[in-house]
Amino acid sequence: MALNRRNFLELAAATTALTAVGVSSVHAQDADTIRMGIAANGPRHSDPNQTTQGSDNWATEQMYEQLVRPDDGRFALAPAEYLPTLATEWSTSEDALTWTFKLREGVQFHKGYGEMTSEDVVFSYERAINDGTNKTIFSNIASVVATGPYEVVITLKSPDVNLLGTTIFSNNSSIVSKKAVEEIGAEAFITDAVGTGPYELVTFDAEKGTTLKRHEGYWGEKAKIANVECVYIADTTARTLALLSGDVDIIEAVRAPGWIDSILQRDPTLQIDMTTPGSFNTLHINLTRAPFDNLLVRQALMHAIDRPAVAGALAPMGGTMAGLQPSFFPAGFAIEDLPPELQYPYDPEKSKALLAEAGFPDGISFDSNCSQREDYSSTMLIVQEQLRLGGFNMNLIIGDHTAYHADNRSDKNTLAMHSSSYPPIPTQLYFQQLSSKSEVKADGSGGGNYSHYGVAMPGIDDLLAEALSSTDYEKYVEICKQIELKVLTDLPLIGLSTLGFTAVRNARIDLGFPVESGYARWRFHRATKTV
Amino acid sequence: MARYLLLRLADAIPTILLVLTLVFIAMRILPGDPALAALGDNALPEQIAEFRERMGLNVPLWQQYLNFMGGVFTLDLGSSLLKNTPVITLIAQNLPYTIELTLVAMAMGIVAGIPLGVIAATNRNKLPDNGVRVFSLIGYAIPDFYLGALLLITFSLNLGWFPINGAGEGFVDRLYHVFLPALTLAFVKAAFLGRLTRTSLLEVFGKDYIRTARAKGARENRVIYRHGLRNALLPITTGLGLSLLSTLSGSVAIELVFNRPGIGRLLISAIAERDYAVIQGGVLVFAMFVVLINLLMDLVYVVVDPRVKVQ
Repeated sequence: MALNRRNFLELAAATTALTAVGVSSVHAQDADTIRMGIAANGPRHSDPNQTTQGSDNWATEQMYEQLVRPDDGRFALAPAEYLPTLATEWSTSEDALTWTFKLREGVQFHKGYGEMTSEDVVFSYERAINDGTNKTIFSNIASVVATGPYEVVITLKSPDVNLLGTTIFSNNSSIVSKKAVEEIGAEAFITDAVGTGPYELVTFDAEKGTTLKRHEGYWGEKAKIANVECVYIADTTARTLALLSGDVDIIEAVRAPGWIDSILQRDPTLQIDMTTPGSFNTLHINLTRAPFDNLLVRQALMHAIDRPAVAGALAPMGGTMAGLQPSFFPAGFAIEDLPPELQYPYDPEKSKALLAEAGFPDGISFDSNCSQREDYSSTMLIVQEQLRLGGFNMNLIIGDHTAYHADNRSDKNTLAMHSSSYPPIPTQLYFQQLSSKSEVKADGSGGGNYSHYGVAMPGIDDLLAEALSSTDYEKYVEICKQIELKVLTDLPLIGLSTLGFTAVRNARIDLGFPVESGYARWRFHRATKTV
Repeated sequence: MARYLLLRLADAIPTILLVLTLVFIAMRILPGDPALAALGDNALPEQIAEFRERMGLNVPLWQQYLNFMGGVFTLDLGSSLLKNTPVITLIAQNLPYTIELTLVAMAMGIVAGIPLGVIAATNRNKLPDNGVRVFSLIGYAIPDFYLGALLLITFSLNLGWFPINGAGEGFVDRLYHVFLPALTLAFVKAAFLGRLTRTSLLEVFGKDYIRTARAKGARENRVIYRHGLRNALLPITTGLGLSLLSTLSGSVAIELVFNRPGIGRLLISAIAERDYAVIQGGVLVFAMFVVLINLLMDLVYVVVDPRVKVQ
């Protein structure tokens, strides 16, 4: 058939009209699919044991389960709050060294890989111990032994009253199918996962994202919505527009001042889901750099920072910490419960007076590095202005996020902000940010203790060791409280604020539970959707 | 001709190797540790050390360089440090989207820009000419990522005419998805080509042979298109080559704004994550495009201007 110019134009117009009508039907309007807009460029892994990108956990959270889990949408604030999941019951020896788990019978793996047994649990743990991205949390495990088809005994090298929180409930201790790993191959398993969770993996595309479907053989209540699509949209504008246009149902929020207000102005029906505390934003004071080796200067710094105002600027995501833990966490204090001398109320005049007493009547000037990422830069710019009123002239050098962390790890910073999430296990933060074993090294081989606490001055190592070897949970919490008080006395590390992980959800989606606390991910199996 | 092509390609090899060497050095000089970027700032020293060993980052730099260059010659560009995927696979997955975007944007730019230039030149100092000049100014002045966001908000969010992100599946759906991003890039192209065409045509219109053609009574359309535009094509062709290269580089921002897969988006995330192998592979692709487009333009000159000979 000959195609003249008129035919061509008519055909082009018809095609355009058809596509505009037919193709523009928005994915998110499908009642049986949840589309989640994730703040990254693409998935790296669907193997929970190899994950190196936090946002991939939105998918792994749906696909995998552990022996125990907290209730949806919250942390377990104490060991007693964990719920039976792949294990139905568990017990520990008096010395907290031997833990016995009875497994749930009849749990089916995805894609017909059969029933989960103790063999899979032992295999999963050995895999995590030998070849995972977080071997550290398993370093206390001496052995994992199957004592029957549905019973596993975990023996520890030293007591851990928090084993459920430190090790059993983590991404890396998700239970995978031994048969699947052996058949698919460890390498292919990275993008072709087989777990026991309420959703199973359908497609994994390193550029576009992952798609999941309901696991029809799930042992518990089956997922109400049949499909989940994790769409990766790194650009914040594109992600926001995707939610507003209805292309996706939920997005990871931008954790910057004013962002929540602005998106709610655009669409007041949107729902905000937020974990508290989320990230712990801490400020390391480098004790090896004068004049910050002087306690009076550090006290002045503490009085110069208006911590409630920092949290308020990040509202509704921001929260305050009296010490290094939020008040509702184990070992956390409310400000009013602290001794008066450790409350450090905002008082710029007192800050100046303390600086004068320390020999700096004209104040102090110093350089400090900061990441350009919104949550870091916005927080540190607020702190910079507050410090100025208290007699500190902080020259903030804002740079690339990756370079910032490398500089921190090479001991190149004076006041180093750190943002990281922690479960309600205080010793994790103490070990990573305050232990002398984690002291930062100039050659980059050290850890995340950027203040040199425990080396530049006596620290909390003894108390930490005592807490970690405790066989009684109440005793453990008590020692952690002592650590909090000691840190507030010595001031190597300041708890600036918490910053909740936030997702914004279209009102069509009802998650089926409130999001209160927990890691930066939650499950969708109880969610419903109206169109 | 074949010998000419081979010689030109051989000429390009040192250029590409030099670019790759510079990128290799630049990435190692830049502060930032790929292990830390991959594992997060809570990573313990032993985890970092293990990652570095697994990814071959703990061998001496000269050895890393030799491994990389050896790989380039055997088309083994290594694997992404973070995605566990061969770089060549990542490029193969992403390149078609970037080429698609670039070609559609160029086509739109040419279709709009050259006629606009002709209209402006044939209506010098009149309303159409002024209009084209204002359009060109706006096109030059407005950043493409900003224009992209504006178009997204207007046509995708508010009017719902176009998809908000992604690249689509199948021919029609992909065209539908590429339209708005390509329009964003084409806006600048059209402004540039319109201006260039106008200037070139006005210069040609002053030549004696145009006056002669008109004196012989040739129709105005024939004067404009046969005698004018044909002879104005040489500078426009040069401009097209430059424009093609800038479209390719402009695709980096547009792929991010429209959340499209592509080499630009791949490169940006790799740079942020210090994924050395992917950065090197992405730069290799861009460098080869520069060489190929320059070669293509040289060949087009031969077609456009019979006076140009391949030697």
